[in-house]
Amino acid sequence: MIKAKDLTYEYIRVMETDHGTKEEKVSALKQVNMEIEQGDFIAVLGHNGSGKSTFAKQINALLQPTGGTLWVKDMDTKNDALVWDIRQTAGMVFQNPDNQLVATVVEEDIAFGPENMGVEPKEIRRRVDEALATVRMEEYATHTPSKLSGGQKQRIAIAGVLAMKPDCIVLDEPTAMLDPVGRREVMETIERLNKEEGITMILITHYMDEAVRADKVFVIDDGDLVMQGTPREIFSQVEELKKYGLDVPQVTEVAYLLRKEGIDLPADILTIEEMVGAVCQLKSTI
Amino acid sequence: MIRDITIGQYYPAESPIHRLDARVKIVVTFLYIVSLFIVNTIMGYVIVTALLGVVIHASKVPVKFMLRGLKSIIIIILFTAVINLFMTRGDHILWSWKFLTITTEGLYMAIKMCVRLVLLIVGSSLMTLTTTPIQLTDGIEYLLRPLKKIGVPAHEIAMMMTIALRFIPTLLDETDKIMKAQQARGADFDTGNMIQKAKSLIPILVPLFISAFRRAEELAMAMEARCYHGDENRTRMNVMRMRGRDYRAAVMTAVYLCVVVGLRIAAGHLTFMI
Repeated sequence: MIKAKDLTYEYIRVMETDHGTKEEKVSALKQVNMEIEQGDFIAVLGHNGSGKSTFAKQINALLQPTGGTLWVKDMDTKNDALVWDIRQTAGMVFQNPDNQLVATVVEEDIAFGPENMGVEPKEIRRRVDEALATVRMEEYATHTPSKLSGGQKQRIAIAGVLAMKPDCIVLDEPTAMLDPVGRREVMETIERLNKEEGITMILITHYMDEAVRADKVFVIDDGDLVMQGTPREIFSQVEELKKYGLDVPQVTEVAYLLRKEGIDLPADILTIEEMVGAVCQLKSTI
Repeated sequence: MIRDITIGQYYPAESPIHRLDARVKIVVTFLYIVSLFIVNTIMGYVIVTALLGVVIHASKVPVKFMLRGLKSIIIIILFTAVINLFMTRGDHILWSWKFLTITTEGLYMAIKMCVRLVLLIVGSSLMTLTTTPIQLTDGIEYLLRPLKKIGVPAHEIAMMMTIALRFIPTLLDETDKIMKAQQARGADFDTGNMIQKAKSLIPILVPLFISAFRRAEELAMAMEARCYHGDENRTRMNVMRMRGRDYRAAVMTAVYLCVVVGLRIAAGHLTFMI
């Protein structure tokens, strides 16, 4: 589905100093190699400025690699002729729900993508209705986006991408600006689309409890892909994660601290249920 | 309090006027405005006003809403009236005091200009009251399309209008937030003279502009991510279609224009009607 070979992205940052401006070369991505299969649910972790957003924009061909190659469904993102096909294959949802909705009516906004692609009016109507149903927002079809909650706006943004019939959706911190209710709505939608529609999900996030729900986790630090594996493999390495400025889910942290105190708990506890199970087992052995 | 401002004054109702194609409404309104300047007899204005009354009645929009549009330009109307009243030269002096004189011609001119302005505002707000902003922009885009050949960016203008409409509530919210944040830090927007008040707006405008530019950049990226590349090969979900009622409205407008022009020509011969 998505394959990166020595993917590199460098840009020139102009800094203002006391003695005029200074140019500095920044490597946002350094020779990243990775592969994502169709239907995967991937979480990408990394602290601010680690290059994870740059990585997201590469998949959508909003940015093109300065070195190496990135293939989206065998399409090279450096090939300008394929840009629209790539963007249609890999849709993108951004962080700020307000700054990605274009129209004043919900259904018009969802129609925006297919309209740009030149889809037939009847087919657009069908796709819009279908996408609204998928994100469970049918009753808001004729509402204005500015009156909706953050979570609802984000679901509309997802529906807007769905109407383009993508194989893959890249979500760049879609829950960062939402309240807990909105976060839950969006996460449920993402998981459901992955399980039921088989759409590859690439979720860039800060929240460890969201990353836990993915099939696979990538950790990016300073432009390097430093860790990859299942959430269980990744989060059991508490010390290494801390080295990259990342936290682990709260229960995992508790388990880690308890282990350090000599209490025999498994290192890969990710959820509260697992923690309860492990503690109960421990209690019965004493 | 800033949220109370309503932009795009659409009044939702089920009426034949609401159902008309936006393009027809725009063209009809334009022709109606032209007709206001063709008419120059009292008889003509009576007819135009009566017709406008019939259309307002058919639109099911309360007259109150129509007049609301007048409130904001009352100063302009009064100013026009006063200027015309005193500045028009004529033979029949009605009243005179020092350098001020009122002539019969001036009085008629003032009344005529006021009636014209009122009819113009009421007529055009009837269009915006019965047409959703999105239909309006679609209509404008369609009507400007022939001008694309001479370089008028029709699609871009319509897209800009849509985006502006979409972001007005967002930016109003933001202004409210910034004002509260500045007030919490002791900013004072209500006291002082004009210049001080204007100066106190700077701490609101600067952050608002910065954020608007940031939003614009993010929106541009989001639009590109959704394959936006101008109106090349772009289709629309809702295709505008002329129906029977739209053709009927067009024919009625044509008849109306003929009557108005006829009246004007007739008035040329029958000068007593003024």
